[in-house]
Amino acid sequence: MRKIFYSIIVLSTLLVSCEDPIDVELIDAEPLVVVDAWLNDIDKAQTIKLTFSQPYFDNTFATGIDNAQVTVTRDDGEVFEFNHTADGNYIHDLDADEILGEVGSQFTLDINLDGQVYTATTILNRTAPIDSIRQEFRENEIFGEDGIYCELISRDPLGLGDTYWIKTFKNGMYLNRPSEINLAYDAGFDSGGEVDGFVFITPIRELINEIGDDLLVVPWMPGEEIRVEVHSLTEDNFFYMETVRDQLINSQNGIFAEPLANTKGNITHVNGDETVLGTFNVASVSAIDYIIQ
Amino acid sequence: MRLSILFFLLFSITAPIISQVTESEKVTLNGYIKDADNGETLIGAAAFITEISAGATSNEYGFYAIDVPIGEYTVEYSYLGFETQVKRIVLDQNMSLDIELSTASTKIEEVVITAEPEDENVTKVEMSVNKLEVSTIKKMPSLLGEVEIIRGLQLLPGVTTVGEGASGFNVRGGSIDQNLILLDEAPIFNSSHLFGFFSVFNPDAVKDVKIYKGGIPSRYGGRLSSVLDVRMKEGNNKKLAVNGGVGFIFSRLSIEAPIIKDKASFIIAARRSYIDVLSKPFLPEEQSDSRLYFYDLTLKANYKISSKDRLFLSGYLGRDNFVFGAAAGFSWGNSTGSFRWNHLFSEKLFSNITMYYSDYNYKINFGEDNLNAFNWDASIINYSIKPEFTYFMNPKNQIKFGGQSIIYEFLPGNAVGISEGEVRDFSIDKKYAIESGLFIENEQTINDKLSLNYGIRWSHFNYTGEGIAYTFADAEVLGERKELVSTESFDQWESIQAYNNFEPRFAMKYQLNTTSSVKVSYNRMAQYIQLVSNTTASTPIDIWTPASNNIRPQVADQVALGYFKNLKDNTYELSTEIYYKVLDNIVDYVDNADLVLNPLVEGDLIEGDGRAYGFELLAEKKKGVLTGWFSYTLARTERKIPGINNSEWYPSRFDQTHNLSLSGFYELSKRWSLSSTFSLISGTPITFPTSRYEQQGYVIPHNALNSRNNVRIPTYHRLDIGATLKGKEKPGKKWYGEWVFSVYNLYNRRNPFAIFFGPEGDTRPALNVPINTQATKLSVIGSFIPSVSYNFKFN
Repeated sequence: MRKIFYSIIVLSTLLVSCEDPIDVELIDAEPLVVVDAWLNDIDKAQTIKLTFSQPYFDNTFATGIDNAQVTVTRDDGEVFEFNHTADGNYIHDLDADEILGEVGSQFTLDINLDGQVYTATTILNRTAPIDSIRQEFRENEIFGEDGIYCELISRDPLGLGDTYWIKTFKNGMYLNRPSEINLAYDAGFDSGGEVDGFVFITPIRELINEIGDDLLVVPWMPGEEIRVEVHSLTEDNFFYMETVRDQLINSQNGIFAEPLANTKGNITHVNGDETVLGTFNVASVSAIDYIIQ
Repeated sequence: MRLSILFFLLFSITAPIISQVTESEKVTLNGYIKDADNGETLIGAAAFITEISAGATSNEYGFYAIDVPIGEYTVEYSYLGFETQVKRIVLDQNMSLDIELSTASTKIEEVVITAEPEDENVTKVEMSVNKLEVSTIKKMPSLLGEVEIIRGLQLLPGVTTVGEGASGFNVRGGSIDQNLILLDEAPIFNSSHLFGFFSVFNPDAVKDVKIYKGGIPSRYGGRLSSVLDVRMKEGNNKKLAVNGGVGFIFSRLSIEAPIIKDKASFIIAARRSYIDVLSKPFLPEEQSDSRLYFYDLTLKANYKISSKDRLFLSGYLGRDNFVFGAAAGFSWGNSTGSFRWNHLFSEKLFSNITMYYSDYNYKINFGEDNLNAFNWDASIINYSIKPEFTYFMNPKNQIKFGGQSIIYEFLPGNAVGISEGEVRDFSIDKKYAIESGLFIENEQTINDKLSLNYGIRWSHFNYTGEGIAYTFADAEVLGERKELVSTESFDQWESIQAYNNFEPRFAMKYQLNTTSSVKVSYNRMAQYIQLVSNTTASTPIDIWTPASNNIRPQVADQVALGYFKNLKDNTYELSTEIYYKVLDNIVDYVDNADLVLNPLVEGDLIEGDGRAYGFELLAEKKKGVLTGWFSYTLARTERKIPGINNSEWYPSRFDQTHNLSLSGFYELSKRWSLSSTFSLISGTPITFPTSRYEQQGYVIPHNALNSRNNVRIPTYHRLDIGATLKGKEKPGKKWYGEWVFSVYNLYNRRNPFAIFFGPEGDTRPALNVPINTQATKLSVIGSFIPSVSYNFKFN
């Protein structure tokens, strides 16, 4: 909810402030195992990526872990083996008529790395069906130029506690700017919002428009393709992604930044007490493709 | 412990009463001490009886009273910067004598920080107190030429800020909500305009500014760390006077005049910023409706009904507005109103009853039309009655007693969203509370060397319905969100949770010789409402929340020890103090706390401990063509919160090891004066990550050590200079003007406010290219800022 407010005031503080890169001595820390396990019920090739964390200013790709055994077990006993391909990516290819699970299916992730066992469980939650993409021509937008803007019309099903990650693709390109991370708790921003069963509220339904380098919204051109996917999350993973987004856009909050917070994923170390980064989620996905008129 | 203090108090109070009976017949001399020019009462002026080497200082309303045996006396009335008046008085019965002092004609002695009797720094029992003259603040070089009271205070030891542009101020390791900011006795909940760049106080309407950092007398309560007592001018009761100024940011205008000469007067002072008006032609067309402005209006009227009764009515209204075309708006501000009645029950019993209303609120609106809109507002409203009595028992004992009751109404958030005509209400229930207090204190002179001020305050807080009380389970992991277990509804004014505290206060002065003294003080303070804020600088949308069944009141104990010395006939004043403060039940937040529009916000709060200690030095040169002061603070402010920083002590975000400032004023000629301030402040601590990791294509910071505030940002230093050119003074001249030139941040340093971590720039992460993460320094003021303003006076 703060986000709305920040977007307004940050504009004004930017007028006098300035930013410069600076060198900082960081404290050394041991690399930690990172599990990037976001599965879903639509892709045929399911990927889990295992890497190590690295010093904050080490601007290289993370080092992949290539020697682990990775399986995902569904609660009915079905086991999915994930095999290493390259750079820490472990893949399981589903058959053409096979899906990972249905709403309510529970999954256990097991990773064995040189005798160290890491595990996590999750549940495949329902998602919100998409009704349509609505486009309109707007003038005098505050945070963008005149042009075509889109809205996602999708209604959160009745029942408290549904959480979503809404991903948008523009002409096939995933809109991956941190400020484009679009999360919903029921139809609103967070729990207690009393928006259960509503159509996604305004800032959420509009965060499917591209945000440009100047942080202004970029209008669409006729003929461009928009694809929106609504991925279901577990509540824990909603908070995980909320932390990710808030940390990544914290610097935009200027003098109103919050303290650094660590993410809290659901992976545990079975035969030890190592911190394991990353998280495990299996999403059901609703999607829509639309061509701007 | 508590009982013994009460007995001590009772004894001290009754002992002089008992002894009084046996003494020879006594009479009282009392009255008001005023400025002869404009009739303003003088706060802290002295009436001194030479024969008995005893006297009194005038209180906040300019009233003094001295009790003496029948006789003939020489009474000296003095106030620095004014000519001393000596009266020969035969006192054979009670006598009222109002005195008007004239401004000293030869202005050799320039007062810098205090305007009280010259050696008061040494002789008065109070410590950890600073007075700042508005005339001094007006001389300081300022940001954009605007005279700034809170920025002025930050040049004194023990008063700091987390950074430029941050709202409020920190006193001796206290957070910004631990300051009781009073404007004519009514509390101000947000003291800033434009975040923290300007304060809400219009310097043209302010008469007196006093900050208590420790040794806080028992008549004040409700905040842990300080009391900022701002008193407004009463308004010239002799003739019309107009003051004003034109600067880069605001224009100011104040008018004061008698309503009935010498009996009733008023002042009305207004300011408005006009960056919006000036910038309008330069805005792109689609933003031409965007505006950013703020204003404030300060009003006061007083009426002297008789020599025994006087009424005051004060009001303040201020607002910051951000308007973004028709589609969005955001505004916030305070309003206060206070009504006061001074009544003299007898020659020796002065009373003041204050009734006030104070409110802080903000409003946010979005919406293209009635079918799609979002309206959000929140507020804190309070009503209070505060009777206070001063009993001028005898020259050695001055007793104050009274009470206060406050009704609070918290509106944590009223939010309604309309989307495609569907209306959703996110509003959070109102909260109610009643805070009460009773106090008594005595300022007692034991002998030439020893003086005491001791007292006790009993405070009571009742968190009441109508409302819902939430019960939370203990957090599964320390420092994580607490889960809701149950709820219970309460009726209007039904008590949900009550607390009370005894708050002893004590101060002692021991005079070593005529020019030096040592002082000791102790105070316990309790605080029942707090600002919920986990950002570096507090935002205007942070809300106040009461102590409840989940949040215990915060309590602080502070001891301070000081040595005070005046040199060269009070030309130099030296004050040194050490303090140690312990804070209980201070509030912190779980990671990624959800603090706005969250009915379960109490589940995101964590209770912990705090401690602050330090050494403060203030050396002033108060006379001569060159005046000024040097202030240095060596301090540490720490917190220990379960689940944060591995539950170990860590420095708070506003901890500053060294804080040094140097302020100088030089009278170059009759018309030109120069000023300069320099600040050097240790970097505040900030939380740095150790590592980064990848997830779904994003690079995420990680702090493997779980430490909080583990690295310091670079040192802050800044030099400002100013010059004032006064208009020529001629007898009988009605219009008087002056030009004020200043340069803020003279050597153009980009001082850090904070350091952020993140991807380089804000570019979209590219495919197959690793993301660059880097540290970025944020400077709120990125260059030097020159300014010119013109001030005028007409009378």
